Amino acid sequence: MKNLIIIPAYNEEQALPGTIAGLQSLPDGFEIVVINDGSRDRTAAVAQAAAQTSRLPVHVLNMPFNGGIGVAVQSGYLFAAKSGVYTYAIQFDADGQHDAAYIAALVAECEAKQLDLCMGSRFLKKDDGNFQSTLTRRIGIRFFCWLISLLSGVKATDPTSGFRCAGPRAWKRFSERYPDDYPEPESLFWCARNKFKIGEIPVQMHERQGGISSIRHFKTIYYMVKVSIAIIVDKLRARE
Amino acid sequence: MSAELLMMIGGTSAFFLTLYWVRSRDLREKYAVVWMGVALMVLLCGLFPKVIMIAAERAHLAYPTAVLFISLAAIYIFSFTVSVSLTRQYRRNVRLMQELAIMEQRIRALEANALKRE
Repeated sequence: MKNLIIIPAYNEEQALPGTIAGLQSLPDGFEIVVINDGSRDRTAAVAQAAAQTSRLPVHVLNMPFNGGIGVAVQSGYLFAAKSGVYTYAIQFDADGQHDAAYIAALVAECEAKQLDLCMGSRFLKKDDGNFQSTLTRRIGIRFFCWLISLLSGVKATDPTSGFRCAGPRAWKRFSERYPDDYPEPESLFWCARNKFKIGEIPVQMHERQGGISSIRHFKTIYYMVKVSIAIIVDKLRARE
Repeated sequence: MSAELLMMIGGTSAFFLTLYWVRSRDLREKYAVVWMGVALMVLLCGLFPKVIMIAAERAHLAYPTAVLFISLAAIYIFSFTVSVSLTRQYRRNVRLMQELAIMEQRIRALEANALKRE
C-alpha cells in the first residue's frame, strides 16, 4: 500500500528542505509530491535537490504560474489519480507548521474507522506548546465550526486545518473538483453534506518556519466572506 | 457637436475598431459579430435619428431615467456574461496548467531513468 504526501509550496525555499527532512522518519510506502506553485524564489531548485537526497521518493510538479493553494493541492490529488497507485493522500504544509509524527496516526485513524477524510485538529490537544493561531483566526475558525455544523450536522473542531488525510473516495473527487482558494472549510463541508465519513485526531502544530501566510490583513475579511458564501451556495447544490 | 454626428462618428469608429481587432486576432469572429451589430445600430441611429425617436415613443422610454435604467441593465448583462466566460476560461487554464506540470514531471522522471540505464 502506497500513500502520497501532498506538499503545496509557494516561495518556501527556506522551510522546504527542513519539511522534507522531517518526513524521512516515515516508513516505506510513503511518497511525497511537492507542488511548486509558480514560486518566484528557488523553491523549484530546492525541491529538486531534496528529491535527489530523500530516502522516500519525492516527485516535483512545477506549475508554470501561481494558481493558489486550492489549485496546488488539487494538482497533488490529480497526480495521485493519474498514478493510480496510492491509497491515502495526506495534505501537509511546506512551511514547517505540521508535525510529520502525526501522519501515521492520521492514516491509521482512516484505516481503523474507514474514514473518507481525517482532519488533524490543533484544538483537540490542550497543550501549551501547541500553536493555535491568533485570536482573530480562532474566532473565524469557531464561526466555520458553527456554520458547518448548522448546515451539515457534522461537528469539526478545526475546519481550516490543512493537515488532513483523504481516503480514495474523497481525493478522487477532489482531483476532479476542488475549491480554488482557501479550500479547507469548503471541501470539508462538501464531504459532510455528501455523507462522507469524517473524523479528527489531535495534532501538534508549530509556528511557520518561513514564507508568508496567504491570509493577512484585508484578506482575512475576504476569506471569511468568500468561504461562507461558498459553503452556503454548496448547501444549495444536489447531493453527488 | 450634435448627438446624431456623435453617434455616426462613434458607430463608424466602433465598426472599424472591431474590424482592426478581428484582423489582428485579438477578438474572435464569434464576438465580433455582436460588436459589429452594436456599431451598426449606433451608426444607423446617427444617420436616421427619427428611428430612435419612434422606438423610444413606442417603448415609452422617453424619460432619461428609463433610458439610464435600460443602459445599466445592458451593461450589467454584458459584464456578467464576461465574468461567466472568464470563469470558464480560468477553469480550463487551471486544468491545462496542472496537466502540463504533471507531464513535465513524467518527462523528467523518464529522462532520469534513461540516464540511469545508460
